[in-house]
Amino acid sequence: MAVQDVKPTRSELQDLQKRIKLSQNGYKLLKMKRDGLILEFFKILNQARGVREELDAAYANAVEKVNLASAVDGSFTLKSASFAVDAVPTIELKSTNIMGVVVPKIEGSDVHKALHQRGYGLVGTDAYIDDVADAYEILVEKIIVAAELETTMKRLLDDIEKTKRRVNALEFKVIPEFQEQVKFIRLRLEEMERESMSSLKKIKKKKAAQA
Amino acid sequence: MEISVVGSSDFVTGFRLAGIRKVYETDIEGVEPVVRAVLEDKDVGILVMHNDDVSKLPESLKASLNASVQPTVVTLGGSGEGSTNLRDKIKQAVGVDLWK
Repeated sequence: MAVQDVKPTRSELQDLQKRIKLSQNGYKLLKMKRDGLILEFFKILNQARGVREELDAAYANAVEKVNLASAVDGSFTLKSASFAVDAVPTIELKSTNIMGVVVPKIEGSDVHKALHQRGYGLVGTDAYIDDVADAYEILVEKIIVAAELETTMKRLLDDIEKTKRRVNALEFKVIPEFQEQVKFIRLRLEEMERESMSSLKKIKKKKAAQA
Repeated sequence: MEISVVGSSDFVTGFRLAGIRKVYETDIEGVEPVVRAVLEDKDVGILVMHNDDVSKLPESLKASLNASVQPTVVTLGGSGEGSTNLRDKIKQAVGVDLWK
């Protein structure tokens, strides 16, 4: 609402003062929420950085193993072994709450399997293929951890940005506008008071002249 | 929920060996429709892709992959660009590059 649109009345002034108080309370709370979220974010950031590095290392290792296995056994054997695997790793999504932001907690099960649980025959395959399976199982474990942390970070970042916008909007737009309106009403009320005072004085003078 | 892998034959074979069933083997032209289909699949919790494949997708799809929480997209390989998107996001939200 522009300053000119405000009705210069006492009730409007009281109303505005109440709204300023409410906005200032909200501003303080949101600022605390933003700071809290950033603190939580810092905690996760260090973990996530470490996990990313581990993930890249695990992937490089897995690629090396798969290349070695396909060079030794041929890609056909590797593929046929991979199609025989029947133990499917599953993930479970739970959610936790960090300062009002719902973040997922991902748990993997059946990721790491013993040699005999994998499902491919031990006679037709060799240790290189076992190494590949091992390396990829480790990689999948790391992927699950990385996915949880990265999702948490994404959600926290979204919320930090949202809260930051709200804090800024209150600080630089809403509260100053209300204060401007209060100033306008005060000035206008004073002006009206002065006007009525001068007209009263005039009437008094007229009456004194008549008498 | 399950993990899904989309990519070339070399990329997905190892994941098959780790027991992952939702593996979509595709060439570079076929990635886009497969990714769109996987994004619609409610049973997929994590989508794993190679960085080179992601970088060839249209910008709009890339943006929705970056923003997607379910499934969460984890990218591997390439020149270690997996963290770049997150890094940009951090810069945008916090105002400082904290990923260094």
